[in-house]
Amino acid sequence: MSSDVTQTPSQSPTFSKVGKATLNVAARIGGLFAAVVVVAIVFVVINPNFANLNLAVSVLRAMSSVAIMAIGLTLVIVVGEIDLSFGAMYGLAANTLAVMWVVHGVPVYFAIPLTLVIAALVGAFNGSLVTRWKIPSFIVTLGSYNLLYGLSLWVSNSGTFNPNYPPSGEDLPQGQLDFFIGLTQSFGKYQLSAEVFWMLGIAVVVGFLLHRSLFGFRLMAIGGNPEAARLARMPVRRYKITAFILCSILAAMAGILDFSFIQTSQPDIGLSQTFPVFAAVIIGGASLSGGKGTIIGTLGGALLLAELQIGLALLSPGPHVQQIFLGAVTIIAVGLDLFLTNLRKSRA
Amino acid sequence: MNDVARTGIQIRGLTKRYGSTVALNNLDLDISPGEIFGVAGPNGAGKSTLVRMIGGEESPTSGNLMLDGQAWSPADKWDVVSIVHQEPQLFPNLTVAENMVAGREGAGTAWPKPGDDDLQIMDALGLHSVRDIPLGECSLAMQQRTEIARAVARAARVFLFDEPNSALTDAESDELFREMHKLAESGRIVLLITHRLGDLVRHCTRVAVVRDGRVRTVLSGETLTEEGLARQLVTEGTGGGSPALRNAAQTPEAAPMFSVRDWTSPNAFEDINFSARPGEIVALMGVEGSSARELLRSFAGLERTTGAISLAGASDIDLRQLRAYVPATRALSLYSNFSVGENLLARLGAPDIAGPFLGLKKSRMASLAEQSVRRFLIKTRTAAQPIRSLSGGNQQKVAIAQALNCAPKLLLLEEPTRGVDIHSKNEIYHLLRDYAASGKVVIVFCTEVLEIFEVADCAYVVAEGRLSSRLAIADYEQVEQLATDIARLEQSLSAKAAA
Repeated sequence: MSSDVTQTPSQSPTFSKVGKATLNVAARIGGLFAAVVVVAIVFVVINPNFANLNLAVSVLRAMSSVAIMAIGLTLVIVVGEIDLSFGAMYGLAANTLAVMWVVHGVPVYFAIPLTLVIAALVGAFNGSLVTRWKIPSFIVTLGSYNLLYGLSLWVSNSGTFNPNYPPSGEDLPQGQLDFFIGLTQSFGKYQLSAEVFWMLGIAVVVGFLLHRSLFGFRLMAIGGNPEAARLARMPVRRYKITAFILCSILAAMAGILDFSFIQTSQPDIGLSQTFPVFAAVIIGGASLSGGKGTIIGTLGGALLLAELQIGLALLSPGPHVQQIFLGAVTIIAVGLDLFLTNLRKSRA
Repeated sequence: MNDVARTGIQIRGLTKRYGSTVALNNLDLDISPGEIFGVAGPNGAGKSTLVRMIGGEESPTSGNLMLDGQAWSPADKWDVVSIVHQEPQLFPNLTVAENMVAGREGAGTAWPKPGDDDLQIMDALGLHSVRDIPLGECSLAMQQRTEIARAVARAARVFLFDEPNSALTDAESDELFREMHKLAESGRIVLLITHRLGDLVRHCTRVAVVRDGRVRTVLSGETLTEEGLARQLVTEGTGGGSPALRNAAQTPEAAPMFSVRDWTSPNAFEDINFSARPGEIVALMGVEGSSARELLRSFAGLERTTGAISLAGASDIDLRQLRAYVPATRALSLYSNFSVGENLLARLGAPDIAGPFLGLKKSRMASLAEQSVRRFLIKTRTAAQPIRSLSGGNQQKVAIAQALNCAPKLLLLEEPTRGVDIHSKNEIYHLLRDYAASGKVVIVFCTEVLEIFEVADCAYVVAEGRLSSRLAIADYEQVEQLATDIARLEQSLSAKAAA
């Protein structure tokens, strides 16, 4: 019909491996990390004392648990579903572990795997209700958010626990205590917490899973077009359930690690994490309609948020500034992304 | 405003491009008020684009529209046009009466009620009895009438009926046509776009045949016959279609590779016996509601069925890996978030694109994608290009190639060239032909006789859930004969079902 379709690819001289889609993703992530740098420069200009490595290390620490949860959430968002329950799972994990270990003296080496198994069951519960009973994931996980928080209140009897001061009055075995606190040991001149390495390790493993494995490939396909995936006989249900399970397990890991770092469990911890984790995933470029999202982007989103949070906390006269900024940044980031995408499309 | 000459619609030089695809190419058309004006054309000819232009859903790339002698931009003055869709686009959760007033609620703040005029219009259209029933619970015919009533109430001038009766019963569609005649008699402009040639001949005064984005001819009076339309739709400049394309090495004695016996699906078809030999392209032809589509989907295992199925000696469970299905719309097989290459490989798994621990073989994927792009003649700059950057025809090739890459013994396609330009169409036919020639069975669900003539070795007509006898396409020299025979088979099947 038109003249430009007559050219065949076999004759085209440059059959480059990199296409526009890849470049767009790269540009987006580049932009995100550029924003991280720009924000850092702005803070340093405002207050030159901010230019120190201790602060950078605490930003990394602060982003860790948010990032671990956000990595899990990215999987669920990529497959086109939503999980609101991870914050409550984070809290339930810390509280279950505290009750099993600190109160009942179950050795921590058993209590941690058991907690992760519970998390997997929670994920399977969410995923099964979504795929088998076709209840929208928003509703299912809104329900399980409350359910899990209720369980946290119940098992902990609304109490707080610290492994250094068990309620029985009898000290926990020193070896177990050392192991548990060692999970997030800070070391080096700048007191870098091991939690940062947990985050990086998880990012590498899940990054491989999402971007380099058949599992991730199909996850993207299912999120991009669930109906096509069903017609092509992909295991849509199994993959969705797996995404929910991984999201729950990662939330539980974040809960356990933060418990190890803070060394206090409270029944309502984690609930306030829902917003920053979602914001990190969305700023990272994942699309709520599914099929889009990267682990590196999510990390960038978590980093930008942690940076703003700590910088503003040090600068601002009150917590309201932080809160207002975080909300604005999320909307601006997504708005800017849509604007630039449309700009690129209209030029193409 | 009554002094204005009611001259109808004049369209001059209407052109619409989507990227590199030209959907409408300098189209001229005059439509007078008081007549039912028909538009016919094969799939992808530009009919639906024309409807969207007149309905103001999209703006033309260039060209002028006039309504009653004045320049007219449907996108701004959209309220003079009413499109009556195949699937009414209204509010199923509101009652019929509420649907009447939705969007014209007036200035009040109360829950809106239909006015006297609205009630009269509804009564005139026979909607009186369903006024307070939620629209979603009404029959399709009632929903369409509600759509008409809404348009009448806002004094629309132009009524576009886009395949309005494809899902209606005969009695319902008779009623609908009566309403259309009434609208035309009242001096409104009525357009009917449909595949059903019989309806065009019976109800229209003039019918424009649209092909390749232009009006090829306008038939009226004596020349307006089903045969005449069929000829205009299929002849001249279509390319391909030469029987030379068919497989010379047809061996009728070869044992069937695929067969079903007593194949039944409740509410669709019953006791179908069907078989196909390797190397054969079989077409299933049927209008919407005939169950032809359902029959094809059942071969893909997508419908609840009883009966025996066998493919290359395997039955039931082992079939999964042996067959591949390509849905009618690309939206159901392509992943918009994927590149061309990823789309081509989306149906593969280990060991083709993944190794142990399910790690993706990225470099193998790149080379496989590149091979597929060459093998299936997909016009793309690179395999890493986003799928949306391709033309419709090339996207369709990707959709088919995605299924072919699984090397199925049985390939099932629904309307494989819908909305595809002629060039890509011929390439797709060649792909299917080559694939069948490698000893596989290809079954195609078609709605166009020309497509059957060009690509199939044999065809079956499906009507009312029944399968006709087998038509060997090689017996036909001309597509018109085939069209006549298919129409005849369709009628006799329907008559049998009625008896």
